Amino acid sequence: MKATFLSLLAFLALAMAGGAAEPIRVSSFSTILTEIAQQVGGDRVAVTGHVKPGIDPHEFEPKPEDLKIVGQAQLILLSAKHMEGYVGKLKEATGTQGALIEVGDGFTSLKMKSEKNPDQVVEDPHWWQSVSNTEKAVKIVRDELVKLSPADKQTFTDNAAKYLSTLDALEKWVKSELAKLPRDKRKLVTSHDAFQYFAKENGFTIHAIEGISSEDQPSSKKVGEIVAAIKAEGVKAIFPESIENPKVMTEITRETGVQIAPVLYADGLGESGDVATYVGMYKHNVSTIVEALK
Amino acid sequence: MRGSPLLRALLAFFIIGLMGWPLWQLTRPQAVEASTPAPKLAAPSAAKAIGLHLSFTTVPKSFVVRHLDKEVWKGTSPEADMEQQVTLDYPAEGVDLQLHVEWPDGAPLSALRVQLTDPAGDMHEKSLWGKGVMDEVVTFP
Repeated sequence: MKATFLSLLAFLALAMAGGAAEPIRVSSFSTILTEIAQQVGGDRVAVTGHVKPGIDPHEFEPKPEDLKIVGQAQLILLSAKHMEGYVGKLKEATGTQGALIEVGDGFTSLKMKSEKNPDQVVEDPHWWQSVSNTEKAVKIVRDELVKLSPADKQTFTDNAAKYLSTLDALEKWVKSELAKLPRDKRKLVTSHDAFQYFAKENGFTIHAIEGISSEDQPSSKKVGEIVAAIKAEGVKAIFPESIENPKVMTEITRETGVQIAPVLYADGLGESGDVATYVGMYKHNVSTIVEALK
Repeated sequence: MRGSPLLRALLAFFIIGLMGWPLWQLTRPQAVEASTPAPKLAAPSAAKAIGLHLSFTTVPKSFVVRHLDKEVWKGTSPEADMEQQVTLDYPAEGVDLQLHVEWPDGAPLSALRVQLTDPAGDMHEKSLWGKGVMDEVVTFP
């Protein structure tokens, strides 16, 4: 009788332990937030990255299978600042009970002119180009995970602290690398206006060939302005982006004689290699910029 | 047709050669001047005399100040207050100075003040904290 009772207790304990081990279901619509959720959540989360590396988040539209997963998610992470134009539909179509967190909305916005409508000023959604914003995002994700599973608070806090120290080291490395580049050479001609947060933190002037989205085509007036700026300021290189067509860039190099530098990762992580992590992606961008401009 | 075949062939080659000359003139590769002149590079900022002043609350073992990865000031037996004139490119956008400081083992947390007197005579200062080995970048102005 005693043995049966003990067996029953052991069975119940195992069953409860099994329940506790069920990971938190997270849906992420940004490659950066996918990495943050994985780093902070560890094996206590099951993260679905809907926007895959190498996919342009400006053009991404969720498919029915995405909506099904989001409907069952306990935490949905969005970049925000109008990056996900489908957020309203997402809420309506999935009827999700999960917490929908628009991470970037808590950060100070830099403004930019819309290329489609120059009279319109919009928020720059590329907040992850500032390491300090990414550190804030880590804290937001950590706090949301703790709310969902208070029992795992220590795990999430420890994981977040470890990832934050990696980001602190990255910030220091960035300063040290950029110190090799004279401040009067910090002129960044890119294929779309995605590096304002980086520029503000590090003393760069930006000349974006496109407006806010890699779908936009610049007006001939804008291209003329950029050509004039390149010539006047002695810009040494221009930087295409990992995703879109560099046709306009080629036209500008023909007119100005500047070199085309290797691609920069503006909208998220790369598919493989070093650029498949946030630290790797950021270091690639900084090294590429320093090498091309110094 | 009269005449020797050899003569006719030579005549044909001569005519082809005559026609070929203007054709070659029209199609030969030649250097073409670029329609757009090469971009005019911005004038490099000239090297200027800059005053640097370092103050430590705990005297370090050594320090190095670098600008654009080049050593501009090295102190192997530093004092609590030190001054040095250095020559740097000082563009309007400012400069980054890389500081490497080493304090003796067991030395307490030290405050470090960096003062820079720019070519116009204006003084700027930054303060840092360090212990053990410190590598920091300070930006002026």
